[in-house]
Amino acid sequence: MTTTQRLSRVNAINWNRLQDDKDLEVWNRLTSNFWLPEKVPLSNDIQSWNTLTQQEKQLTIRVFTGLTLLDTIQSSVGAPVLMEDARTPHEEAVYTNIAFMESVHARSYSSIFSTLCATRDVDDAFRWSEENPTLQAKSELILERYRSDDPLMRKVASVFLESFLFYSGFYLPMYWSSHAKLTNTADLIRLIIRDEAVHGYYIGYKFQQALAEATPERQQEVKDYAYELLLELYDNEVRYTESLYDEVGLSEDVKKFLHYNANKALMNLGYEPLFPSSVTDVDPTIMAALSPSANENHDFFSGSGSSYVIGKAIATEDDDWAF
Amino acid sequence: METTNLVTKNLAEAKRPASGATETRTLDYHALNAMLNLYGANGELQLDKDREAARQYFLQHVNQNTVFFHSLEEKLDYLVEESYYEAKVLDQYSFAFVKALFEQAYAYKFRFPSFLGAFKYYTSYTLKTFDGKRYLERYEDRVCMVALTLARGDEALAKSLVDEIISGRFQPATPTFLNCGKQQRGELVSCFLLRIEDNMESIGRSINSALQLSKRGGGVAFLLTNIRESGAPIKRIENQSSGIIPIMKLLEDAFSYANQLGARQGAGAVYLNAHHPDILSFLDTKRENADEKIRIKTLSLGVTIPDITFELAKRNDDMYLFSPYDVERVYGVPFGDISVTEKYHEMVADARIRKQKINARAFFQTLAELQFESGYPYIMFEDTVNRANPIAGRINMSNLCSEILQVNTPTEYNDDLGYREMGQDISCNLGSMNIAKVMDAGNIGTSVEIAIRGLTAVSEMSNLSSVPSIAEGNAKSRAIGLGQMNLHGYLAREHIYYGSEEGLDFTNLYFYCVAFHALRASNRLAIENNNTFAGFEDSKYATGEFFDKYLEQEWLPRTEKVRGLFERSGIELPTQQDWQELKASVMAHGLYNRNLQAVPPTGSISYINHSTSSIHPVAARIEIRKEGKLGRVYYPAPFLNEENFDYFQDAYEIGPEKIIDTYAEASKHVDQGLSLTLFFPDTATTRDINKAQIYAWRKGIKTLYYIRLRQSALEGTEIEGCVSCTL
Repeated sequence: MTTTQRLSRVNAINWNRLQDDKDLEVWNRLTSNFWLPEKVPLSNDIQSWNTLTQQEKQLTIRVFTGLTLLDTIQSSVGAPVLMEDARTPHEEAVYTNIAFMESVHARSYSSIFSTLCATRDVDDAFRWSEENPTLQAKSELILERYRSDDPLMRKVASVFLESFLFYSGFYLPMYWSSHAKLTNTADLIRLIIRDEAVHGYYIGYKFQQALAEATPERQQEVKDYAYELLLELYDNEVRYTESLYDEVGLSEDVKKFLHYNANKALMNLGYEPLFPSSVTDVDPTIMAALSPSANENHDFFSGSGSSYVIGKAIATEDDDWAF
Repeated sequence: METTNLVTKNLAEAKRPASGATETRTLDYHALNAMLNLYGANGELQLDKDREAARQYFLQHVNQNTVFFHSLEEKLDYLVEESYYEAKVLDQYSFAFVKALFEQAYAYKFRFPSFLGAFKYYTSYTLKTFDGKRYLERYEDRVCMVALTLARGDEALAKSLVDEIISGRFQPATPTFLNCGKQQRGELVSCFLLRIEDNMESIGRSINSALQLSKRGGGVAFLLTNIRESGAPIKRIENQSSGIIPIMKLLEDAFSYANQLGARQGAGAVYLNAHHPDILSFLDTKRENADEKIRIKTLSLGVTIPDITFELAKRNDDMYLFSPYDVERVYGVPFGDISVTEKYHEMVADARIRKQKINARAFFQTLAELQFESGYPYIMFEDTVNRANPIAGRINMSNLCSEILQVNTPTEYNDDLGYREMGQDISCNLGSMNIAKVMDAGNIGTSVEIAIRGLTAVSEMSNLSSVPSIAEGNAKSRAIGLGQMNLHGYLAREHIYYGSEEGLDFTNLYFYCVAFHALRASNRLAIENNNTFAGFEDSKYATGEFFDKYLEQEWLPRTEKVRGLFERSGIELPTQQDWQELKASVMAHGLYNRNLQAVPPTGSISYINHSTSSIHPVAARIEIRKEGKLGRVYYPAPFLNEENFDYFQDAYEIGPEKIIDTYAEASKHVDQGLSLTLFFPDTATTRDINKAQIYAWRKGIKTLYYIRLRQSALEGTEIEGCVSCTL
């Protein structure tokens, strides 16, 4: 019954009648950013991978399985539930793109695995991810919000996932690349970061629009929920970080990175930052490596970089050929 | 010995902060360098942090990992005995001379001005112990070994080379600078170009050549234009050939297999004529959604475009694509050896030649789409190149950096891959001069001559027997490529905007001077050796025709500013009298080198040399550099400070026209090509790229290298305080 009702309400989407210009701006950005993992010559990292210790390899694989799980959640649950709450047909279309790109991201980690790692190590890591209590806890915290019938909280959860939870994992490839290791893998991760930055920003923007229409009481309630969820996620994230990074002595630095990104996620939602700047002074090599702008310079011996986009094709006119 | 003093002194320095380092934590050099990409507390550029990074790199890393020797004698004996250095390089000189030469180099007190320069040098160039853990050379040692190798026993030349290299005026290309004097090494030459003919023997040979040449260092470009298209007949049976894509796949695999002792992967390029029937599938190999079976990831692509293609596009006509198989049967020469512009209408009318057609404008648009997605293909304007070529023969391809433009001839093989008819393929060894340093020293004639002698030595010393057609070409031509770099750095330091009237004026006259002195040096070598390159008699140098453009008009400064720059540096512009004398001498005695100049993109060596790349504008005031062995490193534009900040407009702000104008000035005086990259914001469309290509072609540009795009972060997603996000 409900299905029929929904279907009957589907109107043909008209991109020439926009309710919100932001939808088109973000759509254009996302489509021009389209990429597939085959673009990056990951096999150039094989030699570099072999210089990692067994412990470092295990850490790296585990980090990537953790990221795979988050991308899977976002692709198969997150983006589809957001679609139901879409305010405009164009917003819905943007979520279809987000859902697909999250699948591409999840697929990318497998490309990294199949290029660099032994199958047994990867299987072990997937088993680890299924059994790791903190990783499971974070996915449960997010899924719980996705399953709830509070559209605002779904967006909050989604922004926290996109702009905060990913980064304990993103830290590691950025760390490797700033030490001249796995640089092609870092290129690929930077493409993912480029996407996630836009996703978090866009969902946060839609959240702020919906929130503005709510009553002051409701606004306060959502804000309380949001900070509560963030703190819950943060506590869990600290434990997750320690379980991964203690062995290599990077935990404290990763935590600063968590603080920085937690603030960033709150800003995307329009809220004030939570952590003071004294605990967000991330290692400058990591900050500089993050930069999603496409002004990196590289040579043809080193790979494709993370900077090319799909262009806008416009035919030339007679004037252009006046010579 | 100086070495020991330097090491002990620096070690003493290194200990000092360790004792009192309780209050201020010393950042590691990577972190200090990365701070370049972040604004300081007051929004200022943190240039001092990079200098500090360079210093810390020596204190924390280099000095502690350098092997210590008591004297130069002990050091050289050890390095020869342990098979690090080639004994026969040093045996050409007395020890007293060698010692004096090292002292000359150390007296210069060389310091790396940027972290990336130092880091790049120690990571990629300096001699290390076989386990790769400790350094055996400082920068001065490397410079001396390069000079001793290239001077081949000529003490005066060795001293001049040390002087030119350590001062930064001349910087040999990577393979030369990296390998000279080492016993375990690759070749001294960077760049190779090979034809492939339309038969299995030639294809098989080319795969072998790709492996052999990658093993020895440098990049290899192949010509695919002669290969019959997909669906062409084999032994007259139709629809048999699978075209050029499978050959590209084979080459790509060959390059990724052969890496130079793990130093870097082989790199290759392939060139195809725009009128080859496989042109669209050739381009599609770089599509983002290309099937894995045909996708080309690491091979670089280049397209040669004749004038006729532009004419057809102008009229919005279709362009015909011609079967190389049939063309070779009709004309008796491979497709690559005929001028498509000249024969176009004849071939269209010839029923024996199978042909297809595509819309010419659509072709240019596809080209631009691919350049958006991948930066490829490079473009060579075939007819421009051949009109400007003073040597008899035809140029049908370029190389991995699109600056080498030389004639070649086909090779024929027997069934056992032996040579039935040895053709000539191309190698080119390169080196670049630092424009700012050359202007500061004021003796451009000497600087150019020493550089030409150094490069000629590389050509003569190269052992390229693994690919006989290249050895043959090199022996007969002694072709070299003298390049230039740091143009933008120099202009900005002198408060001239890149691409301005003054900038163009300077570029024109600087290259005018280089051309004169390069020809004079090669003429002197011909006189000294009583020999010329093979084919000199058939060149426009021999007839004197080449010199017309310098004798028909006077080349003088157009602006006061530029007149002042040359006066201040004491560099005299060659007069028509000078040219007249040079012409007479060249016609009488010839030239020693068939090719003299080529302007490469200069990646690594411009960091070591502390200059801006090539004659390009800077890609960014603070450049983010990614390379396999380095990871991400940040590089400040040379001479950049708060005062000249505005003159360092980056390439995206400057836009394609001014870059093309600048290159057009230089092109007039360069016998080969110049790597020219175009920069666009991501708001550009394929039409903007096409317009720039048309403009470049009209201005007489010979080749276009990469297309680069800059996407600025979507508002709201930038990294806080990041220099590269906001500049």
